[in-house]
Amino acid sequence: MKFDYKKIERMTPAMRIIHWANAICMIAAIITGLYIAHPYYQSFIAEGAVDKYVMAWNRWVHFISAIIFDVTSIVVVYLYFFSRFEKPYRKLIPNAKNVKEFGEVVLNLLTLNRRKRFDSTHSDSFNTTYFTIFHLLLFFMLFTGLQLYVHGLESGESSIGAWWPAFLHITTDWTIPVTGGTLMDVRIAHHITMWLIIVWIVFHIYYQIWRTIFWEEGDIAIVFGGSKFVKDKE
Amino acid sequence: MAEGRDESIKKLFDAKSAKVNTNRGEEYFADLYVKCQKRLGELKAMPATGGGVDLRKVLEEDGFERRDFLKWASATTAMLMLPASFTPLVAEAAEVMNRIPVVWIELSDCAGNSEALLRSDGPKIDEIVLDIISLEFHETLQAAAGHQAEKQLEEALELFRGKYILFVEGAIPLGIDGNFGTLGAKAETFKDHLLRLADGAAAVVAVGSCATYGGIPAAAPNPTDAVGVMDIVKGKPVINIPACPANPANIVGVVLHYALTGSVPELDSLLRPKFAFGYRIHDNCERRAHFDAGEYVEEWGDEGAKNNFCLYKMGCKGPMTFNNCSIIRYNESVNWPIGVGRGCIGCSEPDFWDKYAYERPMANAHIKAPTGGVERTVDQFGLGLLTAAGIGIGIHAAASVMAGKKNSDEKDA
Ligand code: HEM
Ligand code: SF4
Repeated sequence: MKFDYKKIERMTPAMRIIHWANAICMIAAIITGLYIAHPYYQSFIAEGAVDKYVMAWNRWVHFISAIIFDVTSIVVVYLYFFSRFEKPYRKLIPNAKNVKEFGEVVLNLLTLNRRKRFDSTHSDSFNTTYFTIFHLLLFFMLFTGLQLYVHGLESGESSIGAWWPAFLHITTDWTIPVTGGTLMDVRIAHHITMWLIIVWIVFHIYYQIWRTIFWEEGDIAIVFGGSKFVKDKE
Repeated sequence: MAEGRDESIKKLFDAKSAKVNTNRGEEYFADLYVKCQKRLGELKAMPATGGGVDLRKVLEEDGFERRDFLKWASATTAMLMLPASFTPLVAEAAEVMNRIPVVWIELSDCAGNSEALLRSDGPKIDEIVLDIISLEFHETLQAAAGHQAEKQLEEALELFRGKYILFVEGAIPLGIDGNFGTLGAKAETFKDHLLRLADGAAAVVAVGSCATYGGIPAAAPNPTDAVGVMDIVKGKPVINIPACPANPANIVGVVLHYALTGSVPELDSLLRPKFAFGYRIHDNCERRAHFDAGEYVEEWGDEGAKNNFCLYKMGCKGPMTFNNCSIIRYNESVNWPIGVGRGCIGCSEPDFWDKYAYERPMANAHIKAPTGGVERTVDQFGLGLLTAAGIGIGIHAAASVMAGKKNSDEKDA
């Protein structure tokens, strides 16, 4: 039996850039975040404290990746609603069609690809939901992280103006009561959510590879080249 | 009901607007100056209550010169975040503070705050100033006991109704109808006692972490259901001066502020005066350079400890704690916890005993699971999750491989 493969464009260059920016920042945030939590290497450099700046660099890298996350998150929210070709929010509405598709994708995974009764051309509702969970976790990281950050701006001033700490208080103070009432709870929540994100990443990578192997549609290429291939029967 | 909800939603979004406004402009301070002068004039006209001790005399007897007192006054002015021009007013206020009647009660506590005032190596000016405030009632300090003490209290409450400041030290147990703590022959519960005394007070000051948030009595599992003053007293100005013990300088600061302006100082969302709790310890810590450099004490007494390295890895909670002890220290700047080489335990923050005081970095601390049962560190919890996910993935991958590829073409064919 012969069939052709049809090329389907799935991710624009902008989306791929965001993906890899997020991936790199995530690794950087985890490495530096774990250092901030519990400095796991010592600075043996025989120089005065003024010259080393090891924790400060770790925090700097952590905050820079945080700021990149800030920007990509805003763009991602925009794309969820206004993307040129795949508007992910449509797959999130729990209507009969999406719920059925979600169930079918889970069954596909559990039956080890014995059963595949959904259209894998475009992002399915399971995948979209899974990505949405990631973005929500990342948002939680942003809000708790910025709350931890604003503790150091208690004068109400910052190098970019007084609006910045004021803005951070308005947008992140809710994390204190929500996580348990103390500043430490915010920090615990920030740390635990990191682990949730790591677990998320592990399954994400596994699932993308698994799909590539079993569906034989080159899914892994989406994030590099922007497109995958589906079999064109005829 | 709807209003209550709006209120709580509003609170959610300005839970901790920590901005410390040190400069409110000349006009504001000029107004305040006139207001304070007027207020001090009124106080001076009032008779000194209590023994009517003269601060100048007491200071002289204790060997302080006028100059020392003025130095103290200018430091206190700075602490209250007032311009230097207010120094003479602050000095005057300290002298007329004995016009303000104070009732001091102790509930579930260790008397540590009273002790902090009394047991310094030699009386410091802060403590002397507190000594001469018109302490109408203080169970631990007064000579009277038993029925005599109760009578004294009733008299003070009657005489100074609506005028006295009520200082509360210690938490309030609510379990078994408050009967974990009772006072006097009639076995009045701590809660009723507090409510009765707060009723006639001009303001209520909770001193120390127990009175503020329940503190140590309220630490898990909180057997007596202890809570802080602000959970009980409603409809009165409540000022919290947490820390274990509360810094005498901050207690004086609050009374002075009240003497000077007739109002309570600006408070944060936890009702703590901003002049004292507006800054984070970590940002004014003398070891901060070592923190940024990544130079940490790894164990007690090591080379790092000898070189005053940062105590972060020994569990210092300065990064999450707001208090002014890194600036004003204790006992008139003699020293403070981090100065003596041990980490901050966050004693001025809510739930400090359970969430801050474990003397390990948070990542290594045993945190209760939401179910309350097992205690694990956050990292153990995270690694547990990761292992579970890994096992799941492993099983799925192995099953996939063994089942072999069954691809859709065969099915179609
Ligand atoms: C999304 C990925 C992120 C990960 C995996 C991550 C991880 C961590 C971890 C593990 C810690 C140590 C907490 C502890 O003491 O146990 C930390 C601290 C911190 N994070 Fe993040 N974080 C992330 C994003 C952010 C963002 C978006 C911000 C926003 C500015 C942020 C700001 C902070 C701050 C301010 C601290 C405390 C640093 C200090 O006190 O010096 N983080 N992070
Ligand atoms: S000793 Fe504590 S407060 Fe001081 S710099 Fe280190 S972590 Fe911060």
